[in-house]
Amino acid sequence: MKTLREMLAEARQVVPEEGPGDLQRRLKSDTPPVVIDVRDPDEYRDGHIEAATNISRGFLEFRIGGAVSDPSTPVVLYCQTGLRSVLAAKQLKELGYQNVINLGGGYQKWAQSGLPVVKDVAMTPDQIQRYSRHYLLPQVGEKGQRKLLRSRVLLIGAGGLGSPTALYLAAAGVGTLGLMDGDVVDITNLQRQVLHTTADIGKPKVESGTRTLKALNPDVNVIPLPTRITVDNVMDVIKDYDLIVDGSDNFETRYLVNDACYLAGKTNVHGSIFQFEGMATVFAPNEGPCYRCLYPSPPPAGLVPS
Amino acid sequence: MQATEAVKLLLGIGEPLVGRLLTYDALGMRFREVRLRRDPNCPLCGSTPKITDLSIHRTGGDACSATPNGHPATAAAPAPARAGG
Repeated sequence: MKTLREMLAEARQVVPEEGPGDLQRRLKSDTPPVVIDVRDPDEYRDGHIEAATNISRGFLEFRIGGAVSDPSTPVVLYCQTGLRSVLAAKQLKELGYQNVINLGGGYQKWAQSGLPVVKDVAMTPDQIQRYSRHYLLPQVGEKGQRKLLRSRVLLIGAGGLGSPTALYLAAAGVGTLGLMDGDVVDITNLQRQVLHTTADIGKPKVESGTRTLKALNPDVNVIPLPTRITVDNVMDVIKDYDLIVDGSDNFETRYLVNDACYLAGKTNVHGSIFQFEGMATVFAPNEGPCYRCLYPSPPPAGLVPS
Repeated sequence: MQATEAVKLLLGIGEPLVGRLLTYDALGMRFREVRLRRDPNCPLCGSTPKITDLSIHRTGGDACSATPNGHPATAAAPAPARAGG
């Protein structure tokens, strides 16, 4: 009869092993591997490597085909300390996967090295129902939904551009939405600013906006910021968010937000409208142009209304 | 459109509008895509940046136009749309 030690030794002979630093490098490269966490779902939920899909060891042979269709794709397996995963990796090699690597030391060593991990809260049955249409999309799925719930987006402006964006992001389950606007609701807003209602006239936009968004989706943590964005507050405000959506209503703010986002390395989703025309683009620092590349100077005063 | 782009960016799926400007004409129901280039002379993100902090926004001067030579917008870009929303 074989001992466990012998089984592990046999597996180590056929499965190459790499450390957390190697995996991190692979993940940042142009050809990142597929990462599979072979632990049980409750271990995965308590903390996992963000890029990893969870297929617990008992289901591995049955579900691996869905995760990796090409047997030459590099696949990195990990478990808590690197033992379950090396045995699992040997199984995958026997199935015909040519490029399977074991993460030496497992999730424990990755986390102890200070590399980033994510934790999830279990989805409630209501949430599973609410986001069921996302689960059906192969590009989203449960993993994507969890990522949205962990995300933080700042909306600058809760008016004509911010309103529909806020509604759809809240509906989609973006976990934290910052809503920044110093204005109060005016009757002339209601023709397009669908975040607010007739009963809200005279109230601060972030107050009515927060109420509407929470009623739509109580999962969302709405952070009302009832103030204009200024040179004194912009860097402090944007630093806590993953993404900035600029729906501001004047050129000074747009240039300020553009500059701040570039300097802070934050991606800025830009939108603007004029009568029946709209435009949208994404300013990603150092990947593409910024607002100033597009418009080095604003139009002459009076030509285009703010 | 902004919400869709935000979700795509958060999830890392699809092709976000980095380097592309999508314009939408509601009256004609037409979409048009304009390629955007990084401007190497851009005072913020160009090869020799002149804006390295936000002090320009404090001076009370024209913080929007930072280029001393005031070079024209790139030919591919349409006229600025209304800033408002």
